[in-house]
This record gives sequence, structure tokens and C-alpha cells, in this order.
Amino acid sequence: MTESEDAEVRDTETPDHNRFRILVCIDGSDESYRGLRYAAKIAHGHDDVDIVLCYVRPTDHGLRSGGLQMDVARGNILQWGLELPGIKYLKKGRDLLRELGDLGKDWDQAAFHSDVQGTNLGDNKIVYTAESGKQVVLKLKVADDVATGILDQWELGHYDLIIIGAPARWTKKGLGGFFDPEVAETIAVHAPCSVLVARDLEIGSGHLMCTDGTEASIEAVKKDAWIASHCQCPISLISVAQDVESEDDAKQAVADARKVLLDMGVSVEETFVKVGSPVEEIIEEGANFSMITMAESNKSGIKRFLVGSVAMKVIQNAHNSVMIVR
Amino acid sequence: MAEAPRRPKSPYRALKARRLARPMRVLRRTGSYLYFLEKRWFFIALAVGAGMLSMPVPEGLTQAGMIILAMSVVATILFVTEPVPLPTVALLIIIGQVMLMGIDSKTVAQSLMSDSVLFIMGSLMLAVAVVKQKLDARIAWLLVRMTGTKTVWIAFGISLASGLLASFVGEHTVAAMMLPVGLTLIHLTSDDPKKVRNLAAVLLFSISYGCSVAGIGTPSGGARNAIMIGYWKEFFYDPTSPDTFKYLVDYVKWMAYAYPMFLLQIPFVTLILLTTFRPEYKDLSRAVVKLRAQVEAQGAMKPGDWVAILIFFLVLLGWIFWSANYGMGTIAILGAAAFLVAGLVKWSDVNSGVNWGVVLLYAAAISLGVQMKDTGAAAWVAQNFLDVLVPFGMDTGVGLWAAVSLLTTGVTNTMSNGAAVAVLGPIVLKLAVVAEESPIILGFVTSVSSAFAYLTVVGTPACTIVYASGYLKTTDFLKVGWKMVIMSTIIMLVVASVYWPLLSP
Repeated sequence: MTESEDAEVRDTETPDHNRFRILVCIDGSDESYRGLRYAAKIAHGHDDVDIVLCYVRPTDHGLRSGGLQMDVARGNILQWGLELPGIKYLKKGRDLLRELGDLGKDWDQAAFHSDVQGTNLGDNKIVYTAESGKQVVLKLKVADDVATGILDQWELGHYDLIIIGAPARWTKKGLGGFFDPEVAETIAVHAPCSVLVARDLEIGSGHLMCTDGTEASIEAVKKDAWIASHCQCPISLISVAQDVESEDDAKQAVADARKVLLDMGVSVEETFVKVGSPVEEIIEEGANFSMITMAESNKSGIKRFLVGSVAMKVIQNAHNSVMIVR
Repeated sequence: MAEAPRRPKSPYRALKARRLARPMRVLRRTGSYLYFLEKRWFFIALAVGAGMLSMPVPEGLTQAGMIILAMSVVATILFVTEPVPLPTVALLIIIGQVMLMGIDSKTVAQSLMSDSVLFIMGSLMLAVAVVKQKLDARIAWLLVRMTGTKTVWIAFGISLASGLLASFVGEHTVAAMMLPVGLTLIHLTSDDPKKVRNLAAVLLFSISYGCSVAGIGTPSGGARNAIMIGYWKEFFYDPTSPDTFKYLVDYVKWMAYAYPMFLLQIPFVTLILLTTFRPEYKDLSRAVVKLRAQVEAQGAMKPGDWVAILIFFLVLLGWIFWSANYGMGTIAILGAAAFLVAGLVKWSDVNSGVNWGVVLLYAAAISLGVQMKDTGAAAWVAQNFLDVLVPFGMDTGVGLWAAVSLLTTGVTNTMSNGAAVAVLGPIVLKLAVVAEESPIILGFVTSVSSAFAYLTVVGTPACTIVYASGYLKTTDFLKVGWKMVIMSTIIMLVVASVYWPLLSP
């Protein structure tokens, strides 16, 4: 830990915990910018929501570049006055926020830098702060691999929501996925906060919340209701019974969740009770909404590996965005 | 959390206070799990190694051979999956040789350094020295003067220029030098990456594939060439028998074999790229004019630039005329020393620009390869591999070359090409002995095929460096790579059956 990194921990943790902080992972893809638009929508007009844009550059592996450090190539690019990809992507994100009116020209600007072993660029960030205390942060991070970098970043900032683009094709399923999981999947499994996996994310068609009546799912419904009310997205509820006998339980689960939401002063647009395979039913119904939101599966460790959680299967196979609420 | 409420209460706040303790708990619980998840391949590799050691020794293999074989398998898994920093593998190989094989530590230490390793080290130092000379602007200027403004000719020019340079100074050096040139051309054509996607692919792949096909041209083109030269000498050279002198391959002899093959491939590279990605702009006049202005602003060549070119030219002459007497490694470090003495490069730049772990890694891999030969493990694997090939009729001639080439291409796409040659070299050379083929030709087939890593980003240094520009997708490499593999394999097989036999009696 370098001194400056300690400073950064202090710097990000001192703000009070009333703030809702969103980490948007930017990789230059359209998907990641759609995720950013969604974050902007949540933050729009709310002073207690911060947006952090993060680009993670994996550290260089000397063998891959034949023993010549990539820094030599990068230094050469910079000398020609060209920008490195990460900076380019983050700037594009910043310009997008400016366009949407979520980042004013008069905001305070401060730059931070901390050295990272083995690269001459290190971690860099620019913090824009409005008078109201609202922040937008651009962060260029170096890490062993992208997933580790994002999880590390969470430890620095303790974000409430991570938004990450889904891979163009979810190619690695089953055992292949176990040996070499996609970044989005790793984040969805390991991040200690809510994770939104963005896939053709369009704003405004509402959230479809899945509930199974457990305490965890009710908690998730509450949290998501908070996010949905920030972006004025309509809310619908769904519960899936595995067979006809348990249909009543499912109905009860939906009714419970509905009551909780009404108590919070949030209205519910539609409710669905289905019978069948949870994964298939949720994916099919979810296609009509902006995103599917669900609680983290309560399975863990070996059981999750053997049985696989409904949430993970929905994330992999859904046609649109999925949010795991923690 | 007893904080003074400074803000209006949000409904989220109550929820949040309750869940604050939770992330910490989750983190603690998953902390060790994450470590094992990240390093899982390391433990899988160790388990495979332990499994192999506890198996009964197969017929025809000695106990020592089995240990070396297990170490090679573990090292290969670690090369491919990289759960630990790669130089760690080198350290583990050294430890294994002393502790598992019971070889004297002094012997192991001595086996680490050879002329090939010195050559790899010296070439890397030269590479940094050359990149630091900022000659890229001059090259760009020369390039656009010769090619004009048509996209086709610029792409061909970039491939040829990258190739000619890369064949002597190494592909990573040239990729690092040419990348800004390509990026500037793309950037000056259009600011919007979407409008120049195909153009970017053509120009950037012209750099990386131009470098890749050229890396085989001379021994200084890539570490793998030096490794193969080292293996030939270790395996077959016997100072007392004049018959074995043909296994001493020097700079000129290597070029005689491989250089024509590189030149043959260049036109096909441009052809394949232009047909796969149809560039949006057929003419780059605007970009070229701006590039010229940008380069001319830098002024005339300075005396230092000329000295740098002179030193490199002398190193090249040294490799061609004196490497037989003094060794290629000696000439390479002489060149590096000359750059430092002339003050053209700072030691701090050399120190941070060379990845010293790679030198260590190749040293350990070559040492392991020589052990493969000494213990008979290489011969045993070669014999078994040949037995597999017999039913397909691929155990002699072109069939065997194709099989070796296929094997090498497969391995090299998953790891660095130097590591691929270091791992496969001993087996292939023993294969040549068992199948009564020329070890020189099969050795060339292996080291040339190891350049066919067009399919992945990590395959060749040039691909990795070009990918760092952010303009290319990993799928682009697959899209065009398979055509390149087929083209290169065919050209190599033709050259191997028509041209190489003329050279080796």
C-alpha cells in the first residue's frame, strides 16, 4: 500500500454513507455507455447519487509482448500526441454525461494519482464535484485482470451498485465457464453489492422484480424499489411456482411484496404468477421489461457450483438486462 | 454508525445502515475463496504433476525421464493459464531440477546461461535502444513518400516496411515503433472509430502480421529462433565429429532458409487483409498530407540519429560475419553496450523496458529442454507421438512436417511462441531422429510454425502490442487469423519440400 493509496481510501470513505454510489465499468463498448445512460437517469436530479466511471487496464505480461515492456509502446504512442484507449473511453463517457446535463461545466475538478508497481502510468482519477456535493469520478485503473480490478475498486469506494456490460455473446457456459469465467459473471458472483449486467439496456420499460417470498427477496424488492423510484421506472412483480401445488405460495409471495411496496409508497403496475421452470418463465416474461431484478441466490460454495443458481442462469440466458440485488 | 444526520432522510438510508456489516462479512468469507479461484490452475497443475509422479513409470522411460516429463507438463499448464507470474515458473523449474531430480545446484546454475540466452537478453536491450531513438517518424515519412496515398499501397507498404525491419530488430520492437504511425493515419482520417473500423483493422493488422511473418526471417527476429539454434547445437553438435558441423546454424545460414519464406508471404498478407476487411476509405490523401506536415515539423535528422543507425548496422554486420567466431549473444550485448556508451539510451530506460523475467524464463525453459534430451524423455515422447501418426500415414516426409506444424500452431496460439519452441523443440528434434528425417528441416518447421499464432491476441508480441491500441476486437483476430494460418502453412510446406532440401545435403 503506497501512501497515496491510503489517501485515496480516506478520500472515498469519509463522505457519509447516505450517498448512493454507482460504479459504471466502461470498456468502450456501446453496452457500457448504455449502462452509463441508465446510471445518469438514476442520478438525474438527485444530489445524493454519485457516478464513478471506471476503466480497468490489465497489467502487462512480459512474455506476451516478447520481453519488451508494453510501456515502451505506450510511451511511444503518447509521444505522437495520441491518446491511450482507456482515457479515450472515459472521456467519451464524461462527454456523454455533459450532454445529458448530469455533469456541469462549473463543477470543481481535482486529479489524483497513485503509483502501481510495474507500470509507469499507475492509477489515475479525476473527481468532478458539484456545489451540492454530488460527484462524478473518472477512474483509470491498473490491475492483474479486469474482474480483480473492479472488485478492488469496490473495496476503495464501497459502491451500492455496479453496472457492467454483458459480453457480446455469453460463450463460456458450464465447465468452460468455471475454468475461465467471463468478467461480468465473476463480478455478478463476487461483488458484495448489487450488480446490473446491462444487455441492450433501454430505459423506461420498467423493472420486473422476482420474488419467492423469502426475507432476502423482500429485502431485494425494497432496495430495487428505491432505485426504480429514482429513475421513475414502473415496477412489476413476478413469482414462479415450480409446480401447481406451490402456486398458492407464489401468489402469497407476490402479495407480500406488493404490500411492502405499497407501504413504501411505491405503486405496482402488474403482477404475474407463473408455474414452471423459474429460469425459463422469468426470462420469457422479462423480455418485455427494461430489466429483471432478483435477489442473490442463497446457495453458496459447492452447492452453487453443482446446482447453479437461478440468478446466474437468468443472467447468462436473459435477452435483456439483469440486476442481482444484494 | 452514529452519524449526525446532515441530509434529509432517504428511504434508502435505513436499509443501508442495516446492511453495512454485511459486505465485510461477505468479503471475509469469500476472501480465501477468491484466492483459490484465482490460483486454481496452479493447484490443478501441481495435482497433475503429483499424479504423474505417483504413476508407475511406463516402459522405455527412466525415473528421471518421468520426473522431467511431469515438470514439463506442469510448466506447460502454467505457461498457458498463467495463474502465477510467469518468471515464477522459471524459478520452480530450477528448484525442481535440484530437489526432484537431485542434480547438483552448481550444474543447474551453469545450465541456465548459454549463448542463446545472452542473445535473447542482448536483443531485448537493443530493442529498447532502437525504440527510444524516435526513428518512427522518419520511417513514416519514408513510407508515405514511397507508397503514395492509396489505401492498398499504404497497407502493403506498412506490411513490407514492418516486415523488413522486424526481420532484423525483432517483431516487438517494430510493432512498438509502427503502432503510432498506424494510429496517426487512422486518427487523421476520422475521429470517430466507428467510421474507420475496417481501415483501422487493415492498417493495424498490416503492422502486426507484417511483423509476425518477418519474425522468422533471421535469428534476431525472435527469441524462438535463438532457442532452436541453441537446441540444434546442444542435441547434435559434437566437436570431435566433422559430420555434425552442419548443425551449427549461424546467422547467414538461418537467413538462407527462412528469409525467402518471409518475402513470399508479404503480398498475401495484404491481399487477405484487404479482402477480409474492406476499408471504408480507398484513398488517405488527407491523412497523409497531415502526417507529412507533422513529421516535417520535427526537422532534419540529428547526428545522434545517424550514430544510432550506424551502430545498428554494425551489429547486423557483426551477426552476419562474426557470429560464427564470437557467438551471436556476444555481438548482441556488444551492440547494447555500444548504445549505452554512445549515450543514445539511458540505463534506466533499458532497465524498465526489458522484461527481465522473460530472460530468466527462457533460460530455465532451455535448461529443462536439454534435460528432456539427457534423460531420454524427449525421445520417449517422440516415439509415442510417431506411433500415433503411423496409422494416418503421417510418419514421414510432408505428412510428418504437416503434423509437426499443426501441433506447433496449436500450442503457439495458446502461449508465447518462444515458450512453444522451448517446450516442443526437444520432442520434435528427437522425432526427426526416430523418423530418420532431417532435424534441421523439422526444426525449421517448428520454429517457423510457431509464428503462426495469428488467432489470438496473446499469440505473438506484435499482436499483443497492436491490440493495446483499443481499435481491434479479439474476434477480429479469429476472423482473419484462420486465413493467415492456412496461407502460411501452405507456403511453408511448399518451401520445405521444394527449397529447403536444396540447402541441406
